[in-house]
Amino acid sequence: MLLAQILTNGVLLGGLYGLMALGMALVWGVLNIVNLAHGAMIMLGGYAVYYLFAGLGVDPFLALPIATLGMFVFGYLLQRFVLNLVVRSAMLNTLLITFGLNVVITYLAQLAFSADFRTINPGYAGSNIAVFGITVPLVNFAAFAIAIVLAGAIWLLLNKMPLGRAIRATSQNLIAARLYGVNPRQLYAVTFGIGAALAGAAGGLYGTIAHLTPYIGASLTAKSFVIAIIGGLSNPFGVILGGIFVGVAESLTALYFGPTYSDVISFGLLVVVLIVRPARALRTA
Amino acid sequence: MRHSMTALGALALLAASTSLASAEDTIKLGASVQLTGPSANTGRYYRDAYQMMVDKINAAGGVKVGDKSYKLQLDILDNQSDVNLSVRQYVQLVSSDKVNFLLGPFASNFALNDSSVAEKYQVPMVQGGGASTEIYTRGYKYIFGTLPPADDYYASTIDMLQKLDPAPKTVALVAADDSFDVSVAKGTRKLLKEAGMTVAIDQAFRDGAGEFASILSQIKSAGVDAILWSGHETDALNFIRQMKSLNVDPKTFYSFTVGVPTADFRSALGGDANYAFGMTSWLPDESLKDKWYGDASQFAKAYSDKYGYQPDYHAASGAADLETFVYAIEKAGSLDPKAVRDAIAKSDFDSLYAHIKYGENGQIVLPQIVVQIQDGKLVPVYTDKILNKPQYPIPAWGKRG
Repeated sequence: MLLAQILTNGVLLGGLYGLMALGMALVWGVLNIVNLAHGAMIMLGGYAVYYLFAGLGVDPFLALPIATLGMFVFGYLLQRFVLNLVVRSAMLNTLLITFGLNVVITYLAQLAFSADFRTINPGYAGSNIAVFGITVPLVNFAAFAIAIVLAGAIWLLLNKMPLGRAIRATSQNLIAARLYGVNPRQLYAVTFGIGAALAGAAGGLYGTIAHLTPYIGASLTAKSFVIAIIGGLSNPFGVILGGIFVGVAESLTALYFGPTYSDVISFGLLVVVLIVRPARALRTA
Repeated sequence: MRHSMTALGALALLAASTSLASAEDTIKLGASVQLTGPSANTGRYYRDAYQMMVDKINAAGGVKVGDKSYKLQLDILDNQSDVNLSVRQYVQLVSSDKVNFLLGPFASNFALNDSSVAEKYQVPMVQGGGASTEIYTRGYKYIFGTLPPADDYYASTIDMLQKLDPAPKTVALVAADDSFDVSVAKGTRKLLKEAGMTVAIDQAFRDGAGEFASILSQIKSAGVDAILWSGHETDALNFIRQMKSLNVDPKTFYSFTVGVPTADFRSALGGDANYAFGMTSWLPDESLKDKWYGDASQFAKAYSDKYGYQPDYHAASGAADLETFVYAIEKAGSLDPKAVRDAIAKSDFDSLYAHIKYGENGQIVLPQIVVQIQDGKLVPVYTDKILNKPQYPIPAWGKRG
């Protein structure tokens, strides 16, 4: 029974992990930008939902689409006017600029939101149901479901819609895509916007389950990075699976070795994946 | 061009002469504090308490050394919640900024490393942010501290538990893996053994990870009577939230080393903070008489009026560090680090924080007041006797109003 509970915890947590990594994997796969400010954007999404909820009384799950849309606009503008300047340059440049963005966003957030810790805490935040003796926290379950739905939406977008085909075409062969009338500048901005929107959704859910401070970004970026590599960059469901894999591995580690080893395991998994399947890990969308 | 050069030269001279003049009449106190980064939320208590105390003491005429008056000057650097940076900043404060004395950072991990700088350069440091006994067991001569030993944090709590009905028998001990919490866990294990309680679950977690689902599931399946938890604020916050969402109800009791006394903690958790037990070495009580502020409650009022948030024991402890320096410098009658160090060791005075008297190893000994959040208010419950009736046993999550 304990094992079943721990596996459930791991799977639910992993769904949220996967959602966190989804935006990063998309941007990485299409734009070849490892966005080190991804965690900071998750944090921004969290604060957006927090202020909508605490300030205006909007239910967190209604605030979530608003925050997601807001983060899309933020990401779109950021790519269009800042990141686009370096998008085709060396990897190091994009790492540097996103690292810098992470610092800027984090410290602006401290100025704007203070270093106080916040939680998005609606009346139902701690509710749970018992299924066959296993406790399932409702908000975690909702986060898991939303992660699956959003992964499905991204899959549909990439595989079934003209916009998605254009996105994939651009990442596969820029020149050919341009010849077919794709406007890469526009497309990159839209892709980055979607990545930011996914980060925003993850942030709102994270704040409802855990807590927000301006500094949560760095560790969430690291986690997303690991999961994006383990899950691969090409398939949204792969990323969610990667998240679940890491979530379950961490939970089992906490049970059998103690919680202090959780990070050793998730980064250890990363090393193993890179050794065993480097080609797959680095293949892009 | 020549004119501007002359003017510049004159300005430089002027600046040099004023800084010379001020260097003569000021005592420089240096500190590296967490003003940004994950610990900024607690770091601010130290910055604000230091500043408030310095302003108060300067307004009252400063520090008298012999028949000369000195003003205090505060030199605070932001260590960005980075231990390595804080060590470099203390070296900078001592070697290039030439501060006279050192005040401490927040948290044991920091104080543990930063105190080595004080010891190496033989500049006294009085710190109010680190409670771990590790800081004081290295034979250092230049480090003093106003937080009571981490080993004893749970002493008063366990004392109280034995007097309550029903007294818990099995305990889950959950502690982070940093210097402070390792000290707490070590001390608590010993205390629990002496009290005849069984440690059913003994788990460490990574400081700041905030993920407790596995530990909580184990606690639930073991069905323990009480949880004694040690760590830092955000982890305590996540622990309570996950306790509720996973429906984990220890039979009678749970308590946290930090978080419970801070207003921020209660506002972030809302009603879910209720019933949580905690501890504090300080409450803003009128019985704590103070040379500068009259008493602790007036200090607390002045503090919240000035900064817009309530002080907790971190702030009071920081204020006491400054009072220690003023007391010791005046006693020593000189600014010589060695003489001041010896005077600090002999401290014996009342402050808004507590009666200040350091042990052989440099650390103060104070009892922890057991506190509980009752209907959103912080209520002192126990020291060596019951102060207010504890709400005990803690009701299960499903049975709260």
